Amino acid sequence: MKKIIAGLILAGASTVANAGSAGGDGCGWGQALFEGQTGPASHVLAGITNVITGNNTFGMTTGTNGCSTTGTLSYSGKSVVSSIMNEFSEDVARGEGEALNTVAVVYGVEPQDRDTFAKVMHNNFAKIFPNEDVTADEMMASIESVMKTDADLSKYVA
Amino acid sequence: MIYLVSTIKKQFQILLFSLMIFTASSHAADTENYLNELHQQAVKQQLWKHAEWLNLLHYEGDGSSPDDYVSQVVDQIFFLTDDGANDPKSELSAALTGIFDATTSDDANIQCRFVARSDWLREKLNIAASSLPEVHCTKYLQWRENVQPQQVTLIFPTYHLNSPSSMYGHTLLRLDPGKDKDESKWLSVAVSFGANIPEGENSILYTYRGLAGGYRGLFVTDHYYKKIQEYNRIEHRDIWEYRLNLTPEETERMVRHIWEIQDINFEYYFFDENCSYRLLELLEVARPGIELTDEFIVAAIPIDTVKSINRSGLIENIEYRPARATVLSYMLEQMPEDHHELVIKLSEDIDTLQDPGFTSLSEEEQRNIIETAYKFLRYQQSGKDQNRDIDKRSFQLLKVRNSYPVSSKPVVPAPVSPENGHNSKRASFAFGERLDNYYGELGFKMSFHDLEDNEVGFLRGASINMASLQIRAEENEGISLYKLDVIDIFSLAPRTPFFKPTAWRVYTGFETELTNDVDQLVYHVTGGGGGNWNVFDNSQFYTLATGRLEINKQLEHTIEPAIGFITGFLSHFSTSTARLEVSGEHFTDGVYRLRTQYIHNFVISTNNSLKIYAKYQWQDNNVEFSDINLSYQYYF
Repeated sequence: MKKIIAGLILAGASTVANAGSAGGDGCGWGQALFEGQTGPASHVLAGITNVITGNNTFGMTTGTNGCSTTGTLSYSGKSVVSSIMNEFSEDVARGEGEALNTVAVVYGVEPQDRDTFAKVMHNNFAKIFPNEDVTADEMMASIESVMKTDADLSKYVA
Repeated sequence: MIYLVSTIKKQFQILLFSLMIFTASSHAADTENYLNELHQQAVKQQLWKHAEWLNLLHYEGDGSSPDDYVSQVVDQIFFLTDDGANDPKSELSAALTGIFDATTSDDANIQCRFVARSDWLREKLNIAASSLPEVHCTKYLQWRENVQPQQVTLIFPTYHLNSPSSMYGHTLLRLDPGKDKDESKWLSVAVSFGANIPEGENSILYTYRGLAGGYRGLFVTDHYYKKIQEYNRIEHRDIWEYRLNLTPEETERMVRHIWEIQDINFEYYFFDENCSYRLLELLEVARPGIELTDEFIVAAIPIDTVKSINRSGLIENIEYRPARATVLSYMLEQMPEDHHELVIKLSEDIDTLQDPGFTSLSEEEQRNIIETAYKFLRYQQSGKDQNRDIDKRSFQLLKVRNSYPVSSKPVVPAPVSPENGHNSKRASFAFGERLDNYYGELGFKMSFHDLEDNEVGFLRGASINMASLQIRAEENEGISLYKLDVIDIFSLAPRTPFFKPTAWRVYTGFETELTNDVDQLVYHVTGGGGGNWNVFDNSQFYTLATGRLEINKQLEHTIEPAIGFITGFLSHFSTSTARLEVSGEHFTDGVYRLRTQYIHNFVISTNNSLKIYAKYQWQDNNVEFSDINLSYQYYF
C-alpha cells in the first residue's frame, strides 16, 4: 500500500497549482463538487502550439508544499483524489468507472478488493456526497470512515 | 552502480579491498591511465559520430563538414563544454572525464546529472561500474521512485475544428506500469512537449514567433488524468491511445533521458520542430537504430508522425477514449428519439421525474434519461462560470441516479482510427474547360483535408487546408497560377437540440476572377459564420453569411469590401462525397458574382480518388460562364 501511494507523488507540484486555485488558501482541499471544471479562456490560442502555462514543467517533486501529511493519504494522494472528485462522484452514482478505480488505487486497495470498494462507495453515496457543497476534504474523510466500517476495506485505512 | 544498495555495498567492499593493496596515490594514477586509455578508444572508434550519441544530445546534421553538427538544445547547461552545442566530440570527451571526476560528488556528478549519457558511455566502452567513483544520485532516485514504467503509449488527442487550436491534433507519450499491473492509467505519467511562452504574451506576436521561431520548447510531465480532463472534458476531443512495443529496457533508456532533459529548453517551431517531432526524438533514443525524424523536414503534422511510428512497426495495440461530448451524442443516438425531449426537460427541471411520461417508462429507460440529462447539463456548463442552480440540479440528478442499480458505462464503438485516413499532402491532375478554353491543371496541397475528401479517419464536416496551389495551362493563354489558397478552414458541425455549434469559414489567398472583362489573379480574405444541420442521414445543409476584402485593380478601390453568402448541401455516400453549393458576393462598387458549384469525389482507394468539378457563374453586365473539370487526386 505504501508503495502505491508513493507512486502518486509525481506531479504533486503541478496539482498544487490547481488545488491552490480551487481550494483557496492553506492546505485544505476545500473545493466543492462542481468547482474547478472550467477551462482557461485563453485556451484557444494556447492550444495551437501546445503552450506551457505557468512555470512548473516537471511536476514530479515530492514536496508537500508545507502541508501536514498526517492522515491516510499523502499530500499527492489527496491532490489526485480532489482533482478527480467530480468524475468520482459520477462513477460512485453509477457504481463503476475509471475514476472510482483510480481512487481505489490511491487508497492502496488491492485488485481483489476493488469491486467491493466500488460497491461500498455506491451504497454509501449519500454519506460521501451529502450535498453539492461537499468539499474534497469532507469527501475524503467520509470515504475513509465508510471504508473503516467494511470488513474487507478497513485494513486499507487502518 | 547507483541504483542498488547491494551494488554500492559491493563497490564499497571493492574499494576497501583496493585500498588495502594499493596506496591512494597509485590508485589515482591507475584511474588516470585507465581514463587515458578510454579516451584513446573513444577517438579510435570515433564514438562521437555514433547515432545514439548524436540523438542523446539532439544534434542535427550529418557531420559532412566540421561545422555541421548543431544541437536543438538551446540551454548551455545541457552541455559540458562551451562549444558543446556544435561539438559532439569534445562533449563526449568531457562526459567521459566527468563520470570519473571524484571531486564532484553525488547529484552534481555527471553520472547523476546525465544518467543516459553516462550509461551509454559505460556500455560502449565496457567501463566496469566498480571503476567509477561512488555517487549517490539522491534526486534522481527520488524521481525514479515515482516513475517506474514498463511500457510506453503514444497518445493522440484528435481533431476538433471548432477550437482552432486543435485543427491538426496533438501527440504526447504516456509511461505506463506493466501489462500485468492492474492499476489506473489515470495515474500514468504523461510526457509532452510544448512551447514555453511568457505569460501575457501578445497573441499576434505569439502567432508570428510560433511560426518564425523565437520560442523555446520544454518537456512537461504530469498525471494522465489531467490530459483526460483537458482533452476529453474541456476540449471535447476524442483520444486515441497507441500502445507501443518498446521493451522495458527501451522504456528505461527513454526515462533516463527524460531525466536529463527536464527543464532544458529546445528550439520550437510550430510546423516542424513541434510537440510531435520531439516525441519522435525520444523514441529514437529509446530504440537505437530506428529512424523517425528524417522525413519531417518541412512540417511534422501530428498524425503523420503517428503514421511514421506505425510504419516502423512500433504500434502494438490501439484503444479509443471518446470525449464526454461523444459519449453524450452516443447515448442520445441509442435512446428512442421521443425521449430526447424528456432529457432536455429533466436537465432544466428536476420535477420532470414525477412527469407521467417519465414514470411510465421502464427502469432502464429512466436510468438512461437521468444519466444523459446529467451529462448534458455538465456539457453545457463546461468552460462556463459556476452556477449554483445548475450545480444543485446536477447533484440532484446524481443522487437520483444512485437510487437505480449499478450499470456499466456505455461503450462507444470506436470509429476507424485516424492513422488509417488518407495522407496529408495531395497532388492532382485535371482536365477541363473554362470560359470556352480547354485547360490542363496541376495541383498541389501541403495539407490536409477537404470537405469532400475521403472522410475515413477524419472528422466529418471539418476541413482544413494550408498551401493549396493550382497551376493551369490554358489552350489560348499559356501557363499561369490559377489559385493559391494560403489557408482555408471550413467547419460544419451540425446543430441539434443539444449541441449548438456555429458553422464558420475563413479563407485567404489568390484566385482568378473575371472582372470587367479582365481575367486576372486577385487576392482576398473571406470569412463568415452561420449554421449547419443534418437534414437526413449523412446529409447536411449549411448556410453562412460572409464578408470579403479583395485586392483587385478592376474594382473601384484598391481594397474593396463585399458582403456575401455560402449555402449548400454536403452528402456522404459509402465511397463518395458530393457537395452542391451556391455562393456569391456583392462589392460596395456594385460588382457582384453569383456561382453554383457541384463537386463529387469518388474514392478509389485510401490515397486515390477521382473528382468531378462543375461551376456556373453569373456576374454584372450579363456575363455568365462555366468551369468544369475532371481530376485525379493522389494523397501522399
